[in-house]
Amino acid sequence: MNTRRLALLALLVSIASTAAQAQIKHIEMRVEGMT
Amino acid sequence: MKQHLGRQSGVQTVEVSLIDGKVDVTPKEDGQIDPAQLLKATYDSGVTAAEMDMTARGKIVKDSSGGLALQVAPKQSFVLTANELSKELEALAGTQTMVTVRGQLYKKPTGKKKADPSAPLKLLILEVQKKE
Repeated sequence: MNTRRLALLALLVSIASTAAQAQIKHIEMRVEGMT
Repeated sequence: MKQHLGRQSGVQTVEVSLIDGKVDVTPKEDGQIDPAQLLKATYDSGVTAAEMDMTARGKIVKDSSGGLALQVAPKQSFVLTANELSKELEALAGTQTMVTVRGQLYKKPTGKKKADPSAPLKLLILEVQKKE
């Protein structure tokens, strides 16, 4: 029972830390002279 | 140019629209992408970057000179160009609050000024999308 709870907690922590990750999400450029 | 940019570290996909000269770069989920390197790669591929915008999530920190910066990775941050939106974020400096912002990293100088692709990029915040 405790093992299952710990596993669930570890999963939730992992999801939360991924969601809290800082990162560049998208880059958009406008360019000239492209053919 | 698409292949040139696609080879850069941390780049997942590159979409190029020839009609409006727009290039969309999607970074890898866990990859660290370097916008300055992308700008350089763009120049190297023979086209001129007129503008570069970025959407990023990170923490507001104060840099060594006391200015504000957006930290997007432990070793990657962008100094903020002061404007009304950056002033709003000043209170969050040094806190754990994560912000998602859209901002301009580069704009081609007007007139006869020559662009310097090696100059450090500063982030001019255009929109604060989320604070959490």
